Amino acid sequence: MTDGRPDGGSQGHLTRADLFRRAAAGGVVLAGSGVLGESAMAGIDAIDAATPKRGGTFRIGVSGGSTKDFIDGQNIVTVPDQARIVTGWETLLVFDSKFKLAFNGLAESIEHNKQGNVWTIRVRSGIEFHNGKTLSADDVIYSLKRLINPKLGLFGGAALKSIDPNRIKKLDKRTVRLTLKQPDGTLLDALGQYIAGIVPVGYSPDAVGKANPNIGTGPYKLKSFTPGQQSVHVRNPNYWRSGQPYFDQVVIIDFPDDTARVNALLGGQVDAITDVPPAQVAVVNGHGGTKVLESPSAAWRPICMRVDAAPFDDVRVRQAFRLIANRPQMVQQALAGHGKIGNDLYGIFDEAFASDLPQRKQDIDKAKSLLKAAGKDGLTVDLQTTSGALGMNEGAQVFAQQAKAAGVTVNVKILDSGAFYGDQYLKWPLSTDFWGSRNYLSQVAAGSLPTSPYNETHWPDAKDQNFLSLYNQALRTVDRVKQREILHEMQKLEYDNGGYIIWGFTTLLDGYSTKVKGLKTGDKGVLSLNAFGHGYRTIWFG
Amino acid sequence: MTKLRRGITGFILRRVVLGLLTLFFVSLIVFAATQALPSDPARAILGRTATPDSLKALREQLDLNHSVVYQYTHWLGSFVTGDLGHSLAARGEPVTAVLGSRFKNSAFLVLIAAVISVPLSIFLGVIAARRRDGPLDHALSLSLLGLAALPEFVVGISLVLLFATRVFHWLPAVSLIPPGDAPWQHLKEIVLPTVTLVLAVSPYIARIMRASMVEVLESDYVEMARLKGLPEREVLWRHAVPNAVAPAIQVIALNLAYLAGGIIVVEFVFAYPGIGSALVDAVNNRDLPIVQALAVLIAGVYVFFNVLADIATILVSPRLRTSLR
Amino acid sequence: MTAVAPTAPVTAPTVGRPLTILARRAWRQMRTKIGVSLVALLVGVALIGPFFAPYSPSEFVAAPYAHASSALPLGADNLGRDVLSRFLWGGRSLLGLSILATLLGLVLGVSVGLVAAYTRSVLDDVLMRAMDVILAFPSIVLALVAVATVGPKLWLIVIVVGLTTMPRVARVTRGAALEIVERDFVQAAEVLGESQPKILFGEILPNVTSPLMVEASLRLTYSIGLIAGLSFLGFGLQPPAADWGLMINENRQALTVQPWGATMPVIAIALLTIGTSLIGDGLSRAAIGIDRGGGEG
Repeated sequence: MTDGRPDGGSQGHLTRADLFRRAAAGGVVLAGSGVLGESAMAGIDAIDAATPKRGGTFRIGVSGGSTKDFIDGQNIVTVPDQARIVTGWETLLVFDSKFKLAFNGLAESIEHNKQGNVWTIRVRSGIEFHNGKTLSADDVIYSLKRLINPKLGLFGGAALKSIDPNRIKKLDKRTVRLTLKQPDGTLLDALGQYIAGIVPVGYSPDAVGKANPNIGTGPYKLKSFTPGQQSVHVRNPNYWRSGQPYFDQVVIIDFPDDTARVNALLGGQVDAITDVPPAQVAVVNGHGGTKVLESPSAAWRPICMRVDAAPFDDVRVRQAFRLIANRPQMVQQALAGHGKIGNDLYGIFDEAFASDLPQRKQDIDKAKSLLKAAGKDGLTVDLQTTSGALGMNEGAQVFAQQAKAAGVTVNVKILDSGAFYGDQYLKWPLSTDFWGSRNYLSQVAAGSLPTSPYNETHWPDAKDQNFLSLYNQALRTVDRVKQREILHEMQKLEYDNGGYIIWGFTTLLDGYSTKVKGLKTGDKGVLSLNAFGHGYRTIWFG
Repeated sequence: MTKLRRGITGFILRRVVLGLLTLFFVSLIVFAATQALPSDPARAILGRTATPDSLKALREQLDLNHSVVYQYTHWLGSFVTGDLGHSLAARGEPVTAVLGSRFKNSAFLVLIAAVISVPLSIFLGVIAARRRDGPLDHALSLSLLGLAALPEFVVGISLVLLFATRVFHWLPAVSLIPPGDAPWQHLKEIVLPTVTLVLAVSPYIARIMRASMVEVLESDYVEMARLKGLPEREVLWRHAVPNAVAPAIQVIALNLAYLAGGIIVVEFVFAYPGIGSALVDAVNNRDLPIVQALAVLIAGVYVFFNVLADIATILVSPRLRTSLR
Repeated sequence: MTAVAPTAPVTAPTVGRPLTILARRAWRQMRTKIGVSLVALLVGVALIGPFFAPYSPSEFVAAPYAHASSALPLGADNLGRDVLSRFLWGGRSLLGLSILATLLGLVLGVSVGLVAAYTRSVLDDVLMRAMDVILAFPSIVLALVAVATVGPKLWLIVIVVGLTTMPRVARVTRGAALEIVERDFVQAAEVLGESQPKILFGEILPNVTSPLMVEASLRLTYSIGLIAGLSFLGFGLQPPAADWGLMINENRQALTVQPWGATMPVIAIALLTIGTSLIGDGLSRAAIGIDRGGGEG
């Protein structure tokens, strides 16, 4: 790395040896959950043996979407938003294909003091935004401040609550020093999530459809955007990874209708699609010229019960509902077998995942007696859902059917994406939602705290301060073993009393034309299609 | 003659005024129906990004602080001048922007369907009448009757089954036109939706054409032409058909009107990006401004063709013809 | 027919009940026979089908979209439920709603038409203009506006479809009644002091039944199509209900791998509408025959 511009081939991952060298030099890397991988150099994101070719317009059909689509480098709600954010924005560091953090992003280094409350971020030099302006410390400061701005409530800022906006200091053109409110061992995880994009100073995409303010450092620049229909992105000729990206243009098309999406792939109208319905897996694989990409994921489609709304404010009702779920049947019927069963706990890729807690099974008798004890037998509830991602509607319907055995009537209300994610979102007592793969503490920040942007269950109960104090403790804990213990306690609380019914984890099923090269099977997927070909830059037409 | 002319002009004028009045009531009903909803449109638009300040500002912009009557007159006024309001789901984007290209797509689809179905069904009607009571006529009559009975989505799905997915794989099962592209650049995608629409309206036109043609073929007028020694073909196409078409014009216009509503289901079946599928999406999203705008628009097209049908009937009525000859 | 003081010669309506005459004449035609058989078959499937269903319509019996097998003659649907069972269960709602809506439309339309024809004053104009306004909407648009406001409720669908059926029935009724209103026996009844409702429903109505029957079958065909269409769009019955229109939409993504889930309801709806349409056509021809020729049975 002579001129600061990394060569397109190197991945910039750190080996264990590198880490220790740094530690010796005075900076310590905190071991939180999901730390830098062991075999950082070996085979991660290995580029296809064939030489990538330049050119072409890559068209991708994404599931869902409506006129509520938007583009914001630091925020998403639906799958089309995810597909679009990766075109133009990048994060300081990234999660690799084994779901381990890697310094393969905008940051050259991120170090912290022994206590873990002072962090120093240094970005690579020579990276430009789409308008030619060079990425500098000022942009990083602005980005962080915007992420944590409470008025905006951005998804990307949920896990960055420990950052003190008044104590961010610019050390030099490329270096920023943060003095946190408290020690935080999860900062790297938070900064590595795809929604923590770095934006230029003054960034503020206002009403949907205004392309101009929407610039980032990513491989493609936004050319046009029609919410609910499609967006067009053109190659960024000054992209910092030399050689990439390969496509001239990327077109992202909304396809709320599953049939239309699959047919578009089969008919050659698009080159790739997300969310192949399980019924069509055989069709797509059997069709000449298309294939299905299966990626195990920690993506989950929970049924969410509000712990502060009747009837679920009674923990017995929540426990009963969790016992109603016949998880293998739900995976079989709702995901057509493409997934694995869940145990009401998220974060299965996390090293600290509490795999020792016994796997819950369906127990209708116990469920009935719990409901009776709570005075709620013969309960009738509405369950709001939408086709935001595969498994949501299906899971809701299968669960409703299973609930009958316990004398519970679940009325499934399928809403359109726009209606579901409207002003009633996060307010229903019983609903579904979808989440991607995330490490435990990051997920807690995103959905299990009172300050989380997407807390469907309104967990924890206002009376229970235990979970919150454990969370704060975990953030501060440096010792990896000790932190694991705390995380285990937190998971036990959620396992016993939580509001989620996590019945399974989906295998990501995406479809692509065989013209598209560079995709890897078996990647531990966060986003579809190998994180959309890592922002459409590690794939090409061959 | 002049008195007749004035009478006709008067009639036309009256029908037009009546049509406009009807449309006015239509808009009233649509507006009343959609405003019955108690929810707060401002909050629906801003969704989770709502703050007290932005809510206040948007309410001002949407006239929500005024009485319903004021809202209606303001809405109607803007509507007439081309401002169709702001979409709830598209974060306040003007409806005209959201629907612009979709309207073009639907118009094209309807146009093609009309251009194909009218001559086709006239032709079928004439053929059936020529060989009336013969086996061809019976077969045709029964098939047309059957087709007329089927709901459009049944026809559409059957076509998809036959020509796109199961039996033959000639045509695409969905009709995706990328926004910004003109529909005529994607003719293969247009085939099935067009055929569905043609099959939906042709039976009615063909049947009336047949009935009318049968009457004309048995009329003195045609007998006269035959006696004069004109070749049968000329008798048929130059004398009989033009007279038979006259009563069919009303049915033709009514069926064109029907197309305005027919595109709703057809566009949904084929995922065709027109105003029909936009209306279905808007209903799902409870995007009331779009529902209002499209309902009035489609009803407007409907009323227009109905008025046209009435005027056409009068203009080509036999009384008028004979008196002019 | 009512007895009238035998003072003046009266043009009495045709001998024998007109409805029976009409039905008999219609039945003589092949198309009516076919139509009735089709409708009978499908009504049968809809009504007694559920008794023959091997599984409950909401049970999970196989993997989603499992192919047809000996256990599942029509395979499984999008969630792994038995297509045959759901098909057998799926006709009731469509039939029930369509019949209800058509009946509502008939009742309303006949009342409006009779009143309009009889009063022939400003009320007539007002009523008919109101009918025109309703006719100005394509029915599906009116239904969609209603659903957009209130939501997909079944009673709403019945009311809206009934409302859109009303105007044409009113027009036909009014047209036929206008003729009758002039006739002597009606005027005689008026002179006798019979109450208006009695005249309307006792004298006039029985004589407009022929055109009304024809219109009724046309309206029924249309209602079935409209309600099935609304279910198909997702605005009718909601999942997990077994309904033919809904099934078509739920299963159409699997047309390439497992077509039965969508194809069976398509065939059923097609045959049903063709059947009612054939009956309507038969009645229509019979009615024309009666108008043209004699009135014997």
